[in-house]
Amino acid sequence: MITNVYMSDNLEQSFVKQLQENQNIIHKICRLYTNGDDAHKDLFQEITIQLWKAFPKFRGDSKFSTWAYRVALNTAITLYRKSKRSIATIEFEGRQHFLNDVEYNYEEEEQLKLMYKAVYQLNDIEKALIFMYLEDKDYQEIAETLGISEVNARVKMNRIKGKLKKILNPLGI
Amino acid sequence: MKELDLLKKDWQKNTDSFEQVSEIEIYKMIHKKSSSIVKWILIISILEVLLWTALSLFFNSDDYLKQLHHEELISYLKLLTYFNYGVILTFIYLFYKNYVRISTTASTKQLMQDILKTRKTVQFYVWYNLGMIVLSFIIGFIIAFSYSPEIGSLREKIFNDTKVMAIIFGVLFLTIAVFFGAFWLFYRVLYGILLRRLYANYKELKKIDL
Repeated sequence: MITNVYMSDNLEQSFVKQLQENQNIIHKICRLYTNGDDAHKDLFQEITIQLWKAFPKFRGDSKFSTWAYRVALNTAITLYRKSKRSIATIEFEGRQHFLNDVEYNYEEEEQLKLMYKAVYQLNDIEKALIFMYLEDKDYQEIAETLGISEVNARVKMNRIKGKLKKILNPLGI
Repeated sequence: MKELDLLKKDWQKNTDSFEQVSEIEIYKMIHKKSSSIVKWILIISILEVLLWTALSLFFNSDDYLKQLHHEELISYLKLLTYFNYGVILTFIYLFYKNYVRISTTASTKQLMQDILKTRKTVQFYVWYNLGMIVLSFIIGFIIAFSYSPEIGSLREKIFNDTKVMAIIFGVLFLTIAVFFGAFWLFYRVLYGILLRRLYANYKELKKIDL
């Protein structure tokens, strides 16, 4: 019994420690899927709970971060679907958090702002893909994490690029 | 796509700009589910007491007892009512204590113990309420049977005829059983769902414990 208790608290400790170290993954997902501090915190907490629920099944044959990507994105997608209307209509304002660039370039800054706005208009699955892309994952990892084929991931990514172009430049000039 | 590359660069540059969540906050988050269930148990039990109190204001038995010219029973019943409120307030206090403990605990083992304790408290509470319902029915019947003038003339007839007596008692028993069943169902739905969720949470914790 004592060993069990020890193990349980140990497991909890290990979870909390790893999550604390990898929390930026979740923050970044929250940045894409939510708007405003409260929504960010809510999603962060929900993802944390889901990760903790799934943690017993995490066997450590992949990295904690890889596993966390999958569970966290699934949670974000599921929740996003439930509250689609309330989120989708809100303008993306999160951009101001990231204006800490030293070499301030007005034109680039404008472009980035538009880009963040455009990404925010993508749907739940597209956001997951673009997120993995921005995280610099290769197509194999994107496919594995999202549970689709590699070819499908490539096709989807191309479509997203097209969609982003269209959002940025609706007249196609 | 040029803009996308720009975005990617910016994205990776800004990883440290998030307000970091501490380990203690993460502990709190993963324990929050149980505490919200226990909070609902507390809220529902308080609402329930308010409901019963409101109902008892509408159905006042004092007038009936005065009509029967047995005012001395009023004080006995009052005593029983006060006792009942005392017990229920104690339960609410226990629910509150469980809630505070569960929402502040930091270790899994303690949380599991608290969950089991809360479940037991709720179960005792439900059985106490069901017992009280049966008891008040029996008291009601006895009072009506012994003192009500309408039944007075019937009383002798009933006691002389075992068949009639059996039927009357059968009907009374059935009435109690039906009410008992209805309230049992009510409690099962009301607290059963919460208890099941709490237990599911407990099992999850236990899985980790193994």
